[in-house]
Amino acid sequence: MEFDPTLFIDLFTHTFQFWWVILPAIFLGLVVGAIPGFSAANTIIILLPLTLALEPEIGLVFMVALYASSRMGAGIPAILVNIPGTAGAAATPLDGYPMTRQGRGQQALAISFVSSVFGGLLTTVVTLLAMPWLSEVAFYLHSVEMIVIMLFGISLIATIAARDTLKGLIAGFFGLMIGYIGADVVYETPRGTFGFLELYDKVPLIPALVGLFAVSEAFAVIEGESILSRRGKEAMQKAGWSETFEGVRIALSKWWHIIWTSIIGLVIGVVPGAGAAIAAFVAYQQSRTFSKTPELYGTGHIEGLVAPESANNGVTSGTLVPLLVIGIPGGATAAIMLVVLQYHGVTMGPDLFMENPELAYGPFAAMAVTYFLMIFTIAPLARYMSRITVVSTTYMSPIIISFTLVGAFVPRQYMFDMYLALVFGVIGYIARKTGYHTAAILIGVILGPLLETYFLRALKMSEGDVMVIFSSNLGNILWVALALSLAIPYLLQLRQRKRAAA
Amino acid sequence: MTDDNGSPMTDDNESEQPERKSLGGELILPIGAFLFTLYYFYTIWEVPRIAQVSAFFVGTILIVLIILLGIRIGKEVKAGTADLRLGRLIEPTNYIPKRLALFGLTLGFIFFVDWLGFTLTVFVFLSLAMMLLSEGKRKGLILSLAGIMSIGGYLLFIVAFKTRFPAGPFEKLMAGLL
Repeated sequence: MEFDPTLFIDLFTHTFQFWWVILPAIFLGLVVGAIPGFSAANTIIILLPLTLALEPEIGLVFMVALYASSRMGAGIPAILVNIPGTAGAAATPLDGYPMTRQGRGQQALAISFVSSVFGGLLTTVVTLLAMPWLSEVAFYLHSVEMIVIMLFGISLIATIAARDTLKGLIAGFFGLMIGYIGADVVYETPRGTFGFLELYDKVPLIPALVGLFAVSEAFAVIEGESILSRRGKEAMQKAGWSETFEGVRIALSKWWHIIWTSIIGLVIGVVPGAGAAIAAFVAYQQSRTFSKTPELYGTGHIEGLVAPESANNGVTSGTLVPLLVIGIPGGATAAIMLVVLQYHGVTMGPDLFMENPELAYGPFAAMAVTYFLMIFTIAPLARYMSRITVVSTTYMSPIIISFTLVGAFVPRQYMFDMYLALVFGVIGYIARKTGYHTAAILIGVILGPLLETYFLRALKMSEGDVMVIFSSNLGNILWVALALSLAIPYLLQLRQRKRAAA
Repeated sequence: MTDDNGSPMTDDNESEQPERKSLGGELILPIGAFLFTLYYFYTIWEVPRIAQVSAFFVGTILIVLIILLGIRIGKEVKAGTADLRLGRLIEPTNYIPKRLALFGLTLGFIFFVDWLGFTLTVFVFLSLAMMLLSEGKRKGLILSLAGIMSIGGYLLFIVAFKTRFPAGPFEKLMAGLL
């Protein structure tokens, strides 16, 4: 797996020839990423007859371009209407949506595009250079470490997404319990299903996402004529091209922030199953921790938007590392890529880099070229996309409800899933109105099945000894870090109160 | 007595006192989570211990957190700085009828989409919901918008993306014609 610069240059020149595949994939990816229920994975599945018929290299370029652009597309509705297109964009509205409400939606989109493009581009190049070392990250993390990482994820989200840590933790752990619904993976016993057969295969994520974010938001926004504040409306009416350029300038001025938060995304992306949602929240939390103005996060703070957008695009190249190096896909889209490549007789693993380096490094070159082309194709659209925010809630709410509910139906084609999305809508509405963050519930639902699987694996290996969760050195370090991450903010708050009282 | 927003009216002496927080709404989600956790424990009572551990671990933490919240709210109520009214959950109260009607329409949308199909149900739902929210104003605009959105959705999702949305008379007719 030695790196050869000549191969690097040849690969990029060669991949540019596929612009005719990359450009349509970019626009398709943006559309499917922006619509909840339409993920890159689903679209690649729908288009399997096409990708299987293409040459493996062209098929791979198409899938990678679609994957990268859908990641960016998911941030668009998250910023404009507070509805993440996918779970990976769940941290984006924390500061993106307040910016929109202030009439800075166009600027927020431009910042998101620049952060995504440069975060994605940078991590793709870093992945190419650091492939041999990155591939080892996954080897150090076993079931016990993954349990702590999952709980870490929940506690991070609880402390950052919610203003009240206790309520954030309740939302996160409630989400985990919902994620536990379904038949037991070992004994097939139905648990917490209320007798619904449709829940035996766990709680489907798209109805949860649609309900918690879209339906609940649609019911909440009808109180106002528009999602924009009065000042926001005035600012929006005055907005011109300068807003896009200003957004690009601001994002570029945060170059250092883009670099380190996208690297966080890359490292987390390498861990199979960890995913973009965790990466985005970890990056957001780290960004806030090291910020001089942490109190501004959640109010439309630029760094609060840059961090999750850079990180979730950093994940994109990271998820391909375990796929190509050890044949373990890091996410759903990577798993489908594996199926397509195996169909063409391509075997993943270290041998691929020796026998077919063009194909092994090809996805990263395709990703880099995709991000490069996106700079010129997507940024100009920010001005027109942001106009959606001036649409009255009278029209917007019913459109959101009908289209996203049908989106909840698409993945499994069960009518039940639409009712389920409505139930999640009610939960989300109550959560929004009473200060429990919906993102914490959603991340719990996502992590629940993973946490349970790792728990079961660890217990099986230890023959049922519960203390196994404290049996690894790395795991114990992570436990201490988890305890500190919960205790430190509380202790700091206590000290501030004492000082204020004195 | 209540004011226009449904909030209790107070006399001048009371209004000089600091406003009490209404925390009853904040208890709804934890109570639901608590009951669900108990139900979940009930469903795993008979399974082997190895399959119970993680749910008991997470569920117990959740219950402890809920109890801590209960204690915190209880202290505030006892101190007189808060009460158990639903507060923000139902405010502004003048939107309750509209919101309930929209919820009813949404239930109807899900119920009928299986028979009427995507295009017709979206058209009917959008028309009714928009008229409800606009209080009957701009009917022409609403009907046109509902028509454009439902046909546009049909062309994008069903014709272009070949998505398997619920099919009804319109989709079947179009499939026969195309």
